[in-house]
Amino acid sequence: MNATVPDAQVGPRPALVSWFDHHRRAAVQSFLRLWREPIQSLVTCLAVGVALALPAALWALLQNVEAVSGSVQTAARFTLLLDQNTPFEVATQLAAELEGQANIDDVETVDRADALKDFAYGIGLNELMDNLDENPLPHLLHLHPDKNLSSAELDALFISLSTLESVDQVVFDTQWQARLGAAIATARRLTAGVGVLMVLGAALILGNTIRLGIEARREEITVIKLIGGGDGFARRPLLYSGLWSGAVGGLLGAVLVALLFGFLAGPADELFTLYGSDQTVSGLGFKGAFGLTVAGGLAGLVSAWSTAFIHLRRIQPR
Amino acid sequence: MISFERVSKRFERHDALRDVSLEIAREEMVFLTGHSGAGKSTMLRLLMLLDRATSGRLVVNGKDVATIRGRQVARYRQDFGFVFQDHQLLFDRSIFDNVALPLDIAGFHPRDVGRRVRAALDKVGLLGRESANPAVLSGGEQQRVGIARAVVARPKVLVADEPTGNLDPGLSAEIMALFEAFHRVGVTVIVASHDLALISRLRHRIITLKEGRLVGGVGR
Repeated sequence: MNATVPDAQVGPRPALVSWFDHHRRAAVQSFLRLWREPIQSLVTCLAVGVALALPAALWALLQNVEAVSGSVQTAARFTLLLDQNTPFEVATQLAAELEGQANIDDVETVDRADALKDFAYGIGLNELMDNLDENPLPHLLHLHPDKNLSSAELDALFISLSTLESVDQVVFDTQWQARLGAAIATARRLTAGVGVLMVLGAALILGNTIRLGIEARREEITVIKLIGGGDGFARRPLLYSGLWSGAVGGLLGAVLVALLFGFLAGPADELFTLYGSDQTVSGLGFKGAFGLTVAGGLAGLVSAWSTAFIHLRRIQPR
Repeated sequence: MISFERVSKRFERHDALRDVSLEIAREEMVFLTGHSGAGKSTMLRLLMLLDRATSGRLVVNGKDVATIRGRQVARYRQDFGFVFQDHQLLFDRSIFDNVALPLDIAGFHPRDVGRRVRAALDKVGLLGRESANPAVLSGGEQQRVGIARAVVARPKVLVADEPTGNLDPGLSAEIMALFEAFHRVGVTVIVASHDLALISRLRHRIITLKEGRLVGGVGR
């Protein structure tokens, strides 16, 4: 045992360099620590993943609905109910005139007899036709306006169609579009609200895990403080374990959403087809998955920081 | 270097230190002794800023420690090497990582950390054991790891609180010899111990406390 002091000139590196270096090592060690207790880490990350998957899935679903509603909207259609006693020839003539207008794409004439047949078939009552003495329906014109018309131009077209002679009534259902728009807006709010709650939930789950981590490392933190380590030094590994758990949780959440959408794809695509859209259901995508991972990481970081802030101060060497 | 100026420390019911005035010079080695409860640990706790004096001043390196607050406390403690009776080692990591901890805190380059840790372990006779877990060591060896950790960052002051409290006489003498070796290379050493038989054989100032008062060893 000798007490000579070799290489006494070697000292600590500049503060910034060692700060970065400690960050790097804390990041690596916290990540490895996740794998040291795989089951517990998996449960924590999965809890975060499930919490994030719900709002993410809602959001992705909403994106799909909006895309479909967009393509339905372009297929706007006027239905012109002609006067009851208008002959079919007048109807076809009117159709030809209207088709010549620049703001109208095409016009389809429906004979009142066919209209009744379609109606009866549509509601599944073929016998209806036999029981009616008289056809209550007039001849119809289905009119598709130009796809590029604004809603103001559509309104103007509606008015001009209503004033036409021999037209009894113009049906242009803008209301269902307004309803759909409002429903989407509501769903979007709901998604945002649920999103905030679930991210908060994820942060609380992580906060609790970090708190347990602090308790498990109480001895280490005490020793660090005894020999001159500050709160920052003790906090660093905790921040990174929050960051990693959150990010892995977000990634797992993205995987869950992908599985969910895979599960939905069959019936959802069929539903879209039934609404006359050739769109197929699309999930979060790479960007969305990346965003969810980043969101998870941020939630983890914030929750670790606040938990460490509260609990590290309480641990003082005795 | 360290001066207690009429320092008192009062806990709820009793006075742990009463009007203690004392100077410890740079590069000196002193023993602090007295029965348990005499105030040895209280003096060391004040020095480590684990407690604050009720009255009087404690001046270290010309600075009143009452002015050291918050973040500065950690920085202040880095100038000291502490050895604890229960050695305070971490059993979730190797001997190497235990000894390296103060260097990590101070921000040494990993290359220098390796060199210094091995040098410190060499000094306490445990070179070659660095990858073992401290739990497999005997009590005396654990205490030597604690000493290696205390000196690895080459502090100016080495403070030990009953470092031989749990050791048999042979090991205790070895540990004390280590402290003397550090003292010889210019480290200020303060050792609290109630093992009078051992410390009176060593030729250093012995500061005696009794019921919180200094009763011996005030002058040099």
